[in-house]
Amino acid sequence: MITIEQLEGVQEVTWCTGCGNFGILAALKKAVQELGFPQHEFLLVSGIGCGSKIPHYVNLNSIHALHGRAIPVAQGAHLANLDLKVIAHVGDGDTLGEGLGHLLHAARRNVNIAVFIHNNGVMGLTTGQYSPSSPRGYVSKTSPADSGAPMDPVNPIALAIAGGATLAARGFSGDQKQLTSLMSDAVKHEGFAVVDILQPCQTWNRMLTWKFYNEHTYSLQETGHDVTDKLAALEKAFSNGKKIPIGLFYKVKAPVLAENLTLPKDGRLRDHRTSMKELQAIIDELVL
Amino acid sequence: MDITFNIGGEAGQGIDTIGDLLTQVFVKSGFYTFTIKDFESRIRGGYNFSQIRVSGSPVHAPVDDIDIVVALSRDAILNKRPQLTNGGVIIFERSIGFDDLDTCHYPAPLNETAKEVGGNVRMANAAALGAVLSVLKYPFELAEEAIGGIFESKGPKVVAANVKVAKAMYDKTTDEWKGECRQNLGAVKKGPCKDRLVLTGNRALALGAKAANLKWTSAYPMSPSSSCFHDIVADAQRLTIGTIQTEDEISSICMAIGASFAGARSMVTTSGGGFSLMVEGLGLAAMAEVPIVIFNAQRPGPSTGLPTRTEQADLLFMLTASQGEFPRIMLAPKDPLEAFGIAIRALNLADMFQVPVMILGDQYFSDSSMNVPRIDVSNVEINRGQLAPNDSAEPYLRYRLTEDGISPRALPGDVGKVVVSSGNVHREDGHITEDPEVRNAMVQKSLNKMPHILRALQEPTVFGGRGADTTLLTWGSTWGAAYEAMSILSDRGVSINQLHFSDVYPLRTEVLQEVFSEAKKVVAVEQNSTSQFARLIRMETGLTVHFHVNKYDGRPMTASYIINHLKEGGIV
Repeated sequence: MITIEQLEGVQEVTWCTGCGNFGILAALKKAVQELGFPQHEFLLVSGIGCGSKIPHYVNLNSIHALHGRAIPVAQGAHLANLDLKVIAHVGDGDTLGEGLGHLLHAARRNVNIAVFIHNNGVMGLTTGQYSPSSPRGYVSKTSPADSGAPMDPVNPIALAIAGGATLAARGFSGDQKQLTSLMSDAVKHEGFAVVDILQPCQTWNRMLTWKFYNEHTYSLQETGHDVTDKLAALEKAFSNGKKIPIGLFYKVKAPVLAENLTLPKDGRLRDHRTSMKELQAIIDELVL
Repeated sequence: MDITFNIGGEAGQGIDTIGDLLTQVFVKSGFYTFTIKDFESRIRGGYNFSQIRVSGSPVHAPVDDIDIVVALSRDAILNKRPQLTNGGVIIFERSIGFDDLDTCHYPAPLNETAKEVGGNVRMANAAALGAVLSVLKYPFELAEEAIGGIFESKGPKVVAANVKVAKAMYDKTTDEWKGECRQNLGAVKKGPCKDRLVLTGNRALALGAKAANLKWTSAYPMSPSSSCFHDIVADAQRLTIGTIQTEDEISSICMAIGASFAGARSMVTTSGGGFSLMVEGLGLAAMAEVPIVIFNAQRPGPSTGLPTRTEQADLLFMLTASQGEFPRIMLAPKDPLEAFGIAIRALNLADMFQVPVMILGDQYFSDSSMNVPRIDVSNVEINRGQLAPNDSAEPYLRYRLTEDGISPRALPGDVGKVVVSSGNVHREDGHITEDPEVRNAMVQKSLNKMPHILRALQEPTVFGGRGADTTLLTWGSTWGAAYEAMSILSDRGVSINQLHFSDVYPLRTEVLQEVFSEAKKVVAVEQNSTSQFARLIRMETGLTVHFHVNKYDGRPMTASYIINHLKEGGIV
């Protein structure tokens, strides 16, 4: 098993005191330990934003990529080496905004990666503008003066399920035990797994606070929800009213992308050598 | 012998099949061929043509004069009649009802013969072949073999029926047509050429990439690059290449970056509009030092421009694309044969220097085809660049500072290593930093690669001998037309040569400086309106060209176009 010392990040954490990202980092480390895979098999791919700095605070393979584009990078890395446990750490501004199309298409492909959305309902690193998941009425420097954010937030769980994700869950940074378990499930899951992680932004978001989440969340699993029932999962996903369900919404089996691509039968694409004999045959077939 | 055939009609009428049949006949009979495709951005209707030049000596470009027109529509007659040579022939489908007849016209009952003899109007293609060969007085037996080659996969019945139709039309033409064709091939029969591999630029590029152990291509369809992607996908099963059609070009390049980061050699194919979307990925590849090859089959822009036409106007855009400064390599194949080698070099250079490598083709390069010698892949050399040792006790540093700026690579998944990479400014260990000294060291690291890259690139080639009064300066696919212009003028006694670049950036300047000092006049010949390569040379060396030949109507350059402009400009 990987020790906690091995996972110790090499850089000092730069998040604000009380940031919801601390809970996500702690849960990630626990999940990585619990999963039991060797350290070199993990790959974190992150976008851009506060949460996307997580690769610098945990000692694992990583590529800190572009705003909104972590999911495409993650898919490519996964397909080149199916042994990797690829986890995309993305933010709400990042993946629910610029990268929303990539999220849906990756879901449609049921590509075997896990996506952890650090969802704080605000553009934190760019100083508090409203994000695609800010609540209607959220007041910021860029929202209309009277109305606040003039639209409803993106619903990542519903979109993931509608898109074709075969695991969709919502965690809360303040519920370590459940979040760790959801993260482990997502990594172990054979298919596209999305965990929407609620996390307060202490500095900017005055609506989605620790207090708010502690008072408004409840565990979906305690209600006897059937995780194989797509419509029930969608119904729960749309119930973001006074009470917000957290836990596993949806989990089913379906063919994964890699099964139907022209990847090596054995071994990793990265190590494969093209048969020059076969290529010569292809060329000779073209000769008139 | 130097004959040009133009087969024109509406999209969907089978002009490509007639072209392929003619190419088969002449390639198998030992001739050099060069074919261009001219088509509109539509699937049915309109006016498209395939133009095939056949010669007893090597040919490198299309010409403006046409000897035989095969017209399946009225437009195909009207559009090409002005380009017909004296003694040329227009064979057209009789049912078009074109009646402005001349002795050089032959209203051939192609559809009728196909229906009556073959039982299917689709065999009009074979009928057209029969008519063409008859007009040329070419032996019919050679057609049989070509029809067999094209329709083999459809079974012996289809082959036999097509042969029957072609023969019937051949005989009917001999009987009916009383005109005289300048080109009489009755005595020619076999040519000297042994090259039997017909390749388009896109196909040659795809083959080169396959030979260089390409393992990943993610792309989004875009003319004129798509056929390169099609070719990679077509052989992906047999060669084990991962491929996917993505939701957009941003995803294409980002997936390819992910695959390359994890160790699979990766290339993306696109045109200028798609490359515009890829630009942020280009920057990521550069900053994270992930090897990547980007093929841009250029077409006239900006925006959608002319989707199925040709231009070389993305050079300076690609040179400066992305925010920030970083080393990049730009290669532009002059023809299909060179494209095969350039694809291999591109993938090797990307790995050796861990930089983006861009291949600049264009619609003319992508879609034109020629017959080349059989390619032997047994000697292809693959260079994956510097790899980190497996047994090091030290923690792995992805961006270790070295003298040549190249940090030995390890891959995520390698046992005992943690590979950390970032699009942010990073330290040697890959973790992000804002430290000014580290920033300077990392910028210097990228600059340090430049002299090594430059040494790995090839000097330009001088055609037509050194020390001429006039030098034609070309890059990429305009090579062929300029080479032919230079050869024609040289034969007429003009002191002229050609300085050609296939490796366009970083710019090697030794030969360039010498040729510029030798020539009285240097003429930039470019398929764009602002002579972008000439501007690049001025930027890098301060040297200025004296005259410009530009073409930006979306149609390929020809030797006569260049010669006419040189004459008008008083250069020759």
